[in-house]
Amino acid sequence: MTYLNYVIGAYAVFAVVMFWDLLVPQLQIRRELRAARLRKAREAKRAEPVELSR
Amino acid sequence: MNPVLLWFHQLGSPPIFDRFAARWAPWCYAVAFVLMGIGLWQAFQVPADYQQGDSFRIFYIHVPSAMMSMLVFGVMAVYAAIALIWRIKLCEILAMACAPVGAAFTLITLVTGSIWGKPMWGTWWDWDPRLTTELILLFLYLGVTGLYHAIDDRRAAARAAGLLAIVGVALLPVIKYSVVWWNSLHQGQTISLFGDSKIDPSMQLPFWLMFVAVQFWFAGSLLSRARADNLRREAGKDWVAKLAVRP
Repeated sequence: MTYLNYVIGAYAVFAVVMFWDLLVPQLQIRRELRAARLRKAREAKRAEPVELSR
Repeated sequence: MNPVLLWFHQLGSPPIFDRFAARWAPWCYAVAFVLMGIGLWQAFQVPADYQQGDSFRIFYIHVPSAMMSMLVFGVMAVYAAIALIWRIKLCEILAMACAPVGAAFTLITLVTGSIWGKPMWGTWWDWDPRLTTELILLFLYLGVTGLYHAIDDRRAAARAAGLLAIVGVALLPVIKYSVVWWNSLHQGQTISLFGDSKIDPSMQLPFWLMFVAVQFWFAGSLLSRARADNLRREAGKDWVAKLAVRP
């Protein structure tokens, strides 16, 4: 008996969980930096002088 | 001031920590990938066990993950204690960043153990002391993460969750000695960091490679998660805005 299917299943679980652990913080960092970029753009837009027209 | 001590103090500054984490996390992951690659390749080169067949190869991911599940909890509790005593914000962040990584290792331990248990014990699960205490450890990790995200004030949340982590440390010796204290289904200690291991030396190399690899993985993941939380807490500060617009 080799039980190879069980081995493959266990290694697949390991790979999936590790991939999740790798991916999640990268996405969080990207999201935070994007939010900061958008915040900066909004602030810059708000600071622009508004020309009033009649 | 001692330069090492000075560097350590400076690391408490959010922008300096961000630079440190951004620089070193990829290196930690890279070392982990290389060691894991060699370790897993080696894991399939060693001969199959004469009784367990190939199923013993699950050992190479199960045992390092099990060791990490306890080690990460200990590290989390130490950071939480430092954060509670000296009110160091970075230690709060690091303590809370440990929880999801530890939960991931605990989940791997439980699932791979269960997969190994089916052909070897004839069951996916048994309410054995080692399995049950490891499951409680997973719930503790989830409890720490849940508590941290349930309170709006990040500092108060980190203090409450940190307290749970410190109390939870009492579970670690119970997990470690559960196979000694109770006559259970789970086998006793196979491999020892400081003493003699019961596994044949020809089967040990992949284990040690995987063991070192998961340490580096933990370091990389901890730095990345702490960096994300640090950025979230510092949102609106000038240094984050400058970092965000940098090409």
